[in-house]
Amino acid sequence: MSFYENTLITKQDLPKSEIENIKNKYSELINNNFGKVIKIEEWGLLNLARKIKRYNKGFYIHYKFEGNKKTLEEVTKKIKLDNSVIRHLVVKYKNLDTEKEYFNKG
Amino acid sequence: MKRKGKKFNKKSPNSLTKLSLFQKSESRFGSKCPLSVKNAPIIDYKNISLLKKYLSENHKIISSKITSISSGKQKKLTREIKKAKVLGLI
Repeated sequence: MSFYENTLITKQDLPKSEIENIKNKYSELINNNFGKVIKIEEWGLLNLARKIKRYNKGFYIHYKFEGNKKTLEEVTKKIKLDNSVIRHLVVKYKNLDTEKEYFNKG
Repeated sequence: MKRKGKKFNKKSPNSLTKLSLFQKSESRFGSKCPLSVKNAPIIDYKNISLLKKYLSENHKIISSKITSISSGKQKKLTREIKKAKVLGLI
């Protein structure tokens, strides 16, 4: 088991209920596939530095989780098929720090 | 005839002898890496305010000769900057 961070960027024009759906969908997916979600952060609507698939803004969702190879395969497979996710990034860590939030407003 | 080191004249520390802005001045030579001090900021792709310091106006990475970052930290910096660029943060 090792620690990972996963960031999703969704389309800007989705309603709030849809974003909640996506958020819950992936946390369940991780929990059902030998993994465990430690923390979920919402960074909110941010301006993209350059256009990604014709979009100027994106909604960022950030997961910190524990898992193995199978969970990663399952998550990346599902993300690639998802039309509402523009881009994602998974990073492996030896130790997660769950306290510091760089995108916390206020 | 072998040349001896004595023949070369030492450069005067006058600032007018510098060829360009990026040439290191001799007084700056000993400056230490700002990221390997105690309690240094963490290099991470989420820490955008730190990464932006080491980018030029055209979003290029500034070389360690100018910023005097140690080679190990410079490698880590470039990796984190590239991750942030993928996510569209910088």
